[in-house]
Amino acid sequence: MNEFVEQLAICVERGKVNKDAPYPPDLKGQDGADELAKKALDQGLKPDTILDGCILGMDRIGTKFSENKAFVPELLMAAKAMTAAMQHLKPYFQSGEVKRKGTFVIGTVAGDLHDIGKNLVAMVAEGGGFEVIDLGNDVSTDKFLAAIKEHPGCIVGMSALLTTTMVNMEGTIKAIKEQYPDTMVIIGGAPVTQSFADKIGADGYSPDPQGAVALLNKKVA
Amino acid sequence: MRQYDRFQNRLTGAPVDRPPNFDIMMQFAAHYIKKPLRAYYQDYRVLVEANVAMVEDFELDIVQAISDPYREAADLGLQVVFPDDALPLSNTPLIQQPGDLAALKPVPPEHGKRMHDRLQAIRLFRERVGGKVPIMGWVEGALAEAADLRGVSTLMMDLFERPEWVVELLEFCCQQALAFAEAQVKAGADIIGLGDAVASQVSPEWYRTYALPYEKRIFDEVKSAGGVARLHICGDTTLILDDMANSGADIIDLDWMVDYAQAAKLYGDNGPALCGNFDPVKIMLQGTPDEVKEAVTYCLDVGGAKNFSCAGCEIPDGTPHANLQAQRDVLREYKSAK
Repeated sequence: MNEFVEQLAICVERGKVNKDAPYPPDLKGQDGADELAKKALDQGLKPDTILDGCILGMDRIGTKFSENKAFVPELLMAAKAMTAAMQHLKPYFQSGEVKRKGTFVIGTVAGDLHDIGKNLVAMVAEGGGFEVIDLGNDVSTDKFLAAIKEHPGCIVGMSALLTTTMVNMEGTIKAIKEQYPDTMVIIGGAPVTQSFADKIGADGYSPDPQGAVALLNKKVA
Repeated sequence: MRQYDRFQNRLTGAPVDRPPNFDIMMQFAAHYIKKPLRAYYQDYRVLVEANVAMVEDFELDIVQAISDPYREAADLGLQVVFPDDALPLSNTPLIQQPGDLAALKPVPPEHGKRMHDRLQAIRLFRERVGGKVPIMGWVEGALAEAADLRGVSTLMMDLFERPEWVVELLEFCCQQALAFAEAQVKAGADIIGLGDAVASQVSPEWYRTYALPYEKRIFDEVKSAGGVARLHICGDTTLILDDMANSGADIIDLDWMVDYAQAAKLYGDNGPALCGNFDPVKIMLQGTPDEVKEAVTYCLDVGGAKNFSCAGCEIPDGTPHANLQAQRDVLREYKSAK
């Protein structure tokens, strides 16, 4: 494996954002994801290599999360490190030199302001190579529909933390399927289950971010 | 047997005429008496009326002043919006920079509008059902309160980047909780519930470092004031079951993801009483009365002599009345099977 990809993957997995970051203590003073990505581009490495390192690092931490070997704080720090590296890729995404696997539109369902689960999935999806359009919290059906119109072929993700708001997913999915029947909709959130997803017509459900990205990868494979 | 006696007996595993129903009721209760949520969150008289209706119509064995996470935070200065009939909203953290903490001082509960409203609810409960039905007050755990004030994601990263500062924040939140818990017991609460939802999102090691010590201090205060301590951590707490028992809680709520039989076996007859833990959505909201009966019975069968019947978390708004009646019927009949 490319040595740079491995180095960057370690920084992402362990949440080493930049050289000044105090965490993790055993990497104090060493280059973080930010510096590694910049140096890679300066040295003429292909921008794709940075994406590869991010994907690998996020995949490792996501797998640990699924196995209860890492928790929300570790995942958030990894995402922060990933973002530090990915910021150097913005011009290459804009020029088309680096291509994403697909577009993922995500938001919490109408009435729900709890965004940590949605944010985690968005971060892991971005680290998994997808362009993420984050519609934020309390997203109305109309807003989801407008985003699908703007991003043809996108996959939609919806989350709810509360039992009281998860029921709003059904109406939004129905409206999406009426106007854009080919759009894949996946859902998640603490109270959500596979049986609930089946009942309301969602195309997929995952209890964790890594599973959500697996669903996305399956769709674009 | 009165609800209060049923509760006291169950706590020690002494005989009861039927297992007590400790379901958490908030939005369902408000809408049951046809009041908007805004009124439930802001007017203690509505909260009390709704809870008393739950006792009278569904045979709950508790009245509860729990409503939303923002009682303490709002009084500390967090901007909270109350839509007419939806959950309270807060979009901007009160502590945007670590330095903001220095300007905060704990608010005496009687002086805080929202904390005072909860104290008023407890006093009115006392007038209406005191000594007959156990009255539950509520506080945010220090870690949960810190997340309310700082934002969950930011706090989670603070734990890595400025752990010493997080300890200062937790100490501040703990001081607020201690004062609020004590005030509620003095106002007449028999039980103080402590909600620490975010504690299920961190590693067991961090739970022991950043949540458990403060839970223990708050519960020590509750008990020395004469109250019963109830711990409620939403989510899958399987990895911290052992540690939760060290909080000093008399009653431990378990969400539906936890293996109730395994937890009961772990705690044994001398451990805390369990409260749970059928799935509030799949069973209570979406299930049939027969499925409710099966799930409630299973929890009673495996939960031990001290377990309280309860969904894993709040009873969802829109739950069919027939399902709550099914739970009631199981509890009524369960005595004859034992």
